Amino acid sequence: MHISEGVLSAPVLVTGAALTAAGCGIGLKKLDYDKVPQVAILTSAFFVASLIHVPIGPFSVHLVLNGLMGLLLGWPAFPAILIALFLQALLFQFGGITSLGVNTFNMALPAIFCFYLFRYAVKGRNDLISMGAAFACGFFGILMASFMVAISLVFTGDPFLGIAKVVVIAHLPVMVIEGLITLFSAGFLRKLKPELLEVAHAKR
Amino acid sequence: MLKDSPLGKNNPLRKNNPLRKNWLSRTTLLSLMFLILILFASASHTLAHRVVLFAYVEGDMVYTESYFGDGKKCQNARIEVYDSLGNKLLEGKTDKEGEFSFKPPTREDLRIVLTASMGHRDEYVIPEGELPGGTEGRTRGSEPHKAVGNVLPSEKGWKEEAPSSQLSRLEMEQIRVVVEEALDEKLKPIMRLLGKQQKESFSFIGVIGGVGFIFGIMGIILYFKSRRGRDLKVPLDGS
Repeated sequence: MHISEGVLSAPVLVTGAALTAAGCGIGLKKLDYDKVPQVAILTSAFFVASLIHVPIGPFSVHLVLNGLMGLLLGWPAFPAILIALFLQALLFQFGGITSLGVNTFNMALPAIFCFYLFRYAVKGRNDLISMGAAFACGFFGILMASFMVAISLVFTGDPFLGIAKVVVIAHLPVMVIEGLITLFSAGFLRKLKPELLEVAHAKR
Repeated sequence: MLKDSPLGKNNPLRKNNPLRKNWLSRTTLLSLMFLILILFASASHTLAHRVVLFAYVEGDMVYTESYFGDGKKCQNARIEVYDSLGNKLLEGKTDKEGEFSFKPPTREDLRIVLTASMGHRDEYVIPEGELPGGTEGRTRGSEPHKAVGNVLPSEKGWKEEAPSSQLSRLEMEQIRVVVEEALDEKLKPIMRLLGKQQKESFSFIGVIGGVGFIFGIMGIILYFKSRRGRDLKVPLDGS
């Protein structure tokens, strides 16, 4: 999921950085400052989650948790993922500093989609629908991020379908696992701390 | 009667629901955070998502090994070798063990680039000094003999008792080659270990440091937020 330094060409890097900057701007503007601790906790969860690799299949893949972040944070997921990825690049050499913008955008945009697509269903009254939506949220987060990675790599000259197939198939186990994680987290929060499912957006 | 009334203890704090709730939520959050931290950190001893390439010289060949952070070998990944000017010298694919070897075509700094699937990439530079010494160099094969042979005629013209010194020089040369080969063989595991360790950077300290960093940022944001709440009239432009 993390694209390394030196793989992408300059236009892709610049575009990614610009889009990420815009996303972070919106995220910071929408951030409700009472929710800052919640954002920080999810940032650290995201930061650590990438150290857990899923030993299924021939590829090296790991948890991402972007679906859960989107569901719980909304737009502030952008700056949160940026910080987490920056630290991963700095401390563990995941990805790289120059590809930070592209990587952030690849993982944060699906988070925003998850937020708008699944938030109401997860918060809804019906338990079954909520569970299904939570699973779909985790699943979709990785699925879309895989496609984003494939799209970014198209510009290196490889054919899109080939890369997309590899990336999506490699992340299938992760999608299922993240779906389950999101399901259990959302179920847990629904029962015990429903106010955390409210969005970290400022009310205005 | 006492047992029946829930407010029997008539403690004012008991009824103060907002405070209690607030306190509870904070502990839950904190304990959740620590749970996540401990679970995640203990579950993962390895790096998950990066690719590592390292290379070493043995004899007249350069060997490269590559693996993902979790130890899986990079199979069928592209390896390209560049010289110091950025010209591509050769390329190839890693085998099932994630290994690739080649004979260095020139004697200068070699930049080896590995491109694995899904946008993973790593580089390793072999400095000129570590490479086997191409034409003027030391290594096995006929080259040293040739070199000696080239020098000899001119020397012979000057000195007649050359054979004995020539013999010893040849012997010396051969001994040197044999010793170097043996040393290469013995040092191979150590070189590999060193190369790997140089690339290894996962640490528990890194995890703790990163999480601490995130909460430090949180503290800074909250600090400025609390200040802004107190005096709103401070101008925001820094000029």
